[in-house]
Amino acid sequence: MESIFVRYRNVFVLLAVLLAQIIGLAVQVRRSGEGRSRLDPGDGSGVRLIRLWAQELVSPPERLIHSTSMGSTHLWQNYIDLRNVRQQNADLEKTIDRLRLEQAALLEDAKQGQRLQGLLNFQEKYIYQTVAAQAIGSSGSEQSRVFYIDKGTSSGIARDDAVITAEGIVGKVRDVFPSSAQVLAINDQTSGAGVILATTRTRGILRGNANGQTEIVDVLADNRIQKGEVVLTAGGDQIFPRGLPVGVVDKVVNDPERDSFIDVMVTPAAHLDRLDEVLVITNTQPRFSDQQKKDIATSVDEKGAEAAAILKQEMEQKKASDIMAERLPGLLDPNLPPDQQPLHDTSNPTQVAHPPQALHPDRFSPEANGGPAAPTIPDAQTQRETEQSVSPSPAKPAQTGKPAQTSKPVQTGQPTHPATGQTKPAKPAPKPATPESKPEGQPERNP
Amino acid sequence: MPLLGADLRRDLEIRRYPVLAYALVPLAAVVLQAWLPRVLGRFAYFDLPLVITVYFALGRRSPIQGTFMGACMGLFEDALSRNAIGVNGIAKTVAGFLAASVGVRVDVENHTIRLVLNFLLSLASSGLVVFVSRYMLGLDLEWSWYTVLFTAVGNSLIALIIFPLLDRLQIHD
Repeated sequence: MESIFVRYRNVFVLLAVLLAQIIGLAVQVRRSGEGRSRLDPGDGSGVRLIRLWAQELVSPPERLIHSTSMGSTHLWQNYIDLRNVRQQNADLEKTIDRLRLEQAALLEDAKQGQRLQGLLNFQEKYIYQTVAAQAIGSSGSEQSRVFYIDKGTSSGIARDDAVITAEGIVGKVRDVFPSSAQVLAINDQTSGAGVILATTRTRGILRGNANGQTEIVDVLADNRIQKGEVVLTAGGDQIFPRGLPVGVVDKVVNDPERDSFIDVMVTPAAHLDRLDEVLVITNTQPRFSDQQKKDIATSVDEKGAEAAAILKQEMEQKKASDIMAERLPGLLDPNLPPDQQPLHDTSNPTQVAHPPQALHPDRFSPEANGGPAAPTIPDAQTQRETEQSVSPSPAKPAQTGKPAQTSKPVQTGQPTHPATGQTKPAKPAPKPATPESKPEGQPERNP
Repeated sequence: MPLLGADLRRDLEIRRYPVLAYALVPLAAVVLQAWLPRVLGRFAYFDLPLVITVYFALGRRSPIQGTFMGACMGLFEDALSRNAIGVNGIAKTVAGFLAASVGVRVDVENHTIRLVLNFLLSLASSGLVVFVSRYMLGLDLEWSWYTVLFTAVGNSLIALIIFPLLDRLQIHD
């Protein structure tokens, strides 16, 4: 009699294999507090080992294929298709110069933003360190939008690191192996990234759907959202730094499950289907990196040099008298004709006109009135003499300020308050002329 | 009597391949399945591991070998994806078993039969993936009909090309 196990051994083997896999599945799935099932985000040691073996087995042939294709591509691009490179180089250098100037201009805004963030006790993350990697393979499954890169823990990549390209965000690192890593793309159904619409400032969660498209879900109906609106990362998900490009709005559709909500379909900025080189953000810091500081310093220098050149050009177009008028506006008299201005004599333009010393100082003398006498003090020696004449007490000069501070306004020709030593803003002399209308303390001009 | 007839036919027409073919062809299928979507983008509507599973199951005409071949290929595919390990494994296990069971009774040299078999087994495999994910595991898995349909069509067309090439690997007495 033929045993039932022998007769139906095929079916028994099938059932045994299926049962083993079902048990394995049961181990991997967790039930959340809300009663929903989800995959254990952190693979168990056994599961991780299986993934590691599979990846290590597939990686070498993938690297070989990838390097071969890249080699042939580079051979073509670097040795054959080199036309117009010189022109492109010149164009790029111009672009770099222009961008450096723009960067210097934006630097002030960035610094101001950081100061304001500091006031708000909010630290924004800036990209500090990235690792370039090559995409070498994918999962090959429509239900699983993941791909593999050729860098792993040995290159400093960790789980949940953001993966980007120059065009926009790509995904995040889901699993890391010694020499490779698995990246969950943003168009996967289980992915999630906090995003914000640039114009309407609407926030939402970006995820993928079954067709591999990216969409923003959980958005209240808003007719302001239009096609073409730029989508940026919001920075609240602790993975992607704020402000990275995500894509543009393709269309807005009603949420089939909820009436008052809409789904915003987004066209990703990065070419998720044909990824080649990506950047993994391995470190973010709330400050500028050393390299960024060097770039900023370079930009500031170049901006300063350019600004100086522009200023010089403008200055050359002005008359010497105008320059002197700007530097010494307080010594101009608008009521006098130009040929009778005190500075008209250009025989010795560096010499400052001094009022004659009073032979018999009285209460009407400028020295006795304090303030306005100071602008004409040429040097520290005269300053000391004036202080001695005004206040014979030796302690007072020490209280009023340092003598060195008073020499600075003299060099610039700006009036200085005698008591504090502070520079007053230079203004042209108002109305002149008659002693009756002259303000109190105004020094009498003597050309 | 029909069973005996089937056994005799199986013994007569069983195909044999070099040992390396059993190792390298599935590995190549998995590697290409992982690499080609990067080149073809969203037009990569095929499942090479399933095609290879069906081919060896049909050629060997052994449900047990088809079962293990499908299980290995499916688990390998799961290990490379973010899926729970076993989802594709179950689907391809059943596909391998069915392919081998059908291969005992039909003429696997016929191109039309190959085409139809691959199409139906692709649909069955995709259906099993959805069933296991959504109903057995309770996971939120969205899927689209046209993707499943395009994949089935792609598998059928690829099978028409690959099967004659793989036939050259078999050992003739």
